[in-house]
Amino acid sequence: MASLSKIIILAREVKPMNQRERFLTALRRKEPDRVPICELHIDEPIIRKLAELLEIQPENRSKSHERMDYVELFGDVVEKLDLDAVIYSFSYGFKNISENRGQDKFGRIYGLSPHGEPLPIKPRVESLADLENFDMAAQITPEDFADLQYIIERFGKTRACLMPLSDPYKETWRTLGGMQTLLLNFRINPELVRRLLRITTDFTHKAIDMAVELGIDAFIMPGDFAHETGLLFSLDDYRDYLKPLHKEIVDHVHQGRAMIVKHSDGNVWPLLDEWMEVGFDGFHPIQPQCMDIKEVKAYVGKKMALVGNIDCRTLLVLGTPEEVKRTVKETIDVAAPGGGYIISSSNSIHPNCKPENYLAMVEAVHEYREVY
Amino acid sequence: MDHAIDRIKNTVINGGHLEIELLVKEALENGVGHQDIINSALIAAMEEVGQRFSAGKFFIPEMLVAAMTMKKGLGIIKPLLVGVQARAKGTILIGTVRGDLHDIGKNLVAIMLEGAGFQAIDMGVDVSVEAFVQRIKDVSPEILGLSALLTTTMPEMKKIIDALTEAGVRENVKVMVGGAPVDAGFAQRIGADGYGKDAVEAVEQARRLIGA
Repeated sequence: MASLSKIIILAREVKPMNQRERFLTALRRKEPDRVPICELHIDEPIIRKLAELLEIQPENRSKSHERMDYVELFGDVVEKLDLDAVIYSFSYGFKNISENRGQDKFGRIYGLSPHGEPLPIKPRVESLADLENFDMAAQITPEDFADLQYIIERFGKTRACLMPLSDPYKETWRTLGGMQTLLLNFRINPELVRRLLRITTDFTHKAIDMAVELGIDAFIMPGDFAHETGLLFSLDDYRDYLKPLHKEIVDHVHQGRAMIVKHSDGNVWPLLDEWMEVGFDGFHPIQPQCMDIKEVKAYVGKKMALVGNIDCRTLLVLGTPEEVKRTVKETIDVAAPGGGYIISSSNSIHPNCKPENYLAMVEAVHEYREVY
Repeated sequence: MDHAIDRIKNTVINGGHLEIELLVKEALENGVGHQDIINSALIAAMEEVGQRFSAGKFFIPEMLVAAMTMKKGLGIIKPLLVGVQARAKGTILIGTVRGDLHDIGKNLVAIMLEGAGFQAIDMGVDVSVEAFVQRIKDVSPEILGLSALLTTTMPEMKKIIDALTEAGVRENVKVMVGGAPVDAGFAQRIGADGYGKDAVEAVEQARRLIGA
């Protein structure tokens, strides 16, 4: 850990941009002073392990509410790692209802696994009649943004602050009980799909307004549209159901003087033209198993920044720190020239990633990123 | 008769789930044979759906609605089948391994296998080693299909294969594996009998494994 601290101190003495300026410069597709680093999501068990490894001593924790201790710890880890952006979500009021079941404030029930994201296990909405009193936007409260407000107040001047904004597609399949149900309804009940997409898009708009008011710099919008071999649904379906809503959201974000990055795992080559047309400022994570970052940059680099690409499916899980460092250097060499690249994992630092490997990744970024 | 078969086949391919039952009833009333409808229309339609999926012309929504349509059509014929006619080509037990909640890939495999004339028994997600072994003993399927979407849940597949050996049932069942992080090399290393990169390939593998 001493070597990481030395590298960070050296970096701070030499260069003039602060972390926020660096990140936003890269997101605007320009050359910053060095390659910025961020992470879409670091799971809580990993944050706690990182805190131990980084020897973070909690002092004077405010404990203003139950979760604040964790939010402050998260902030301490971000600072110690010197990430250029901090990405934090607003609350969905998620509560555990049993050992392996959870529920959010919208009444959606999830299965829990120690290996990854909670996934819906039963539908909250099954028919048009169920939409009668289903209004997600109306259930958002300022209290849901308390942790994010703390993050922005703590970091807003020095580091870029981003908020994940679930794609209406993702919120819709969560509400229907699973992606398969949504995809079947594309064909058998298009009206239900459109009405629910409208509800989830209005929810997204409300979340944008509240985050912009707090001073958010940018959003990142998770919602997987592809697997490794191709799209989950056709381009025609994207243009029909989702593209107009994406345009609404992107325009709304830009009116709020913020930026927005679209996230999707998988091979999304067929969608890149659509996303450039819609106006997304960036694309995450360029999954290395199926998308070559050099080719993607050559194709979209003038219109979208790239964020991601360090493999978290195998490398950060099963690789060695040396392999991680080598990959970081190789990726920076290929993706950084010309600016418009922000390094991160190829999805998130999920519970199966080795904390030592993530530390090696961050250390390597600080070591190799002065390429401009 | 050919006209009726073609109409049923095209209705399945195009996801005509609201029309299919009437079409199948009409065909039966007009003397079209059960097996002709099943093999030349319903199963043939799903083969065409699989080909269009592999060619990038159909995607998951088209596959799902076609399968739903096929199932509805088959639902009209099934009560009329007796003895050998009613038997599936083979039975596959399928599930996502312990710790893994992802199901869409597994569900598509089950759907396409049923579309190809297999009986698919879906054990769901987060299925323990012990549950798989017990169900194999209870059902005696020809094939066990295992799905994992996470690198960290893939090792469960080897545990299941080892447990089948220990339980003395490994020789009675062919094991197929699949899922995003799984590849043919991994399948070979853990002693699986087959690997499918997607639902269409899974059907080909299943046919190969039991000579169907």
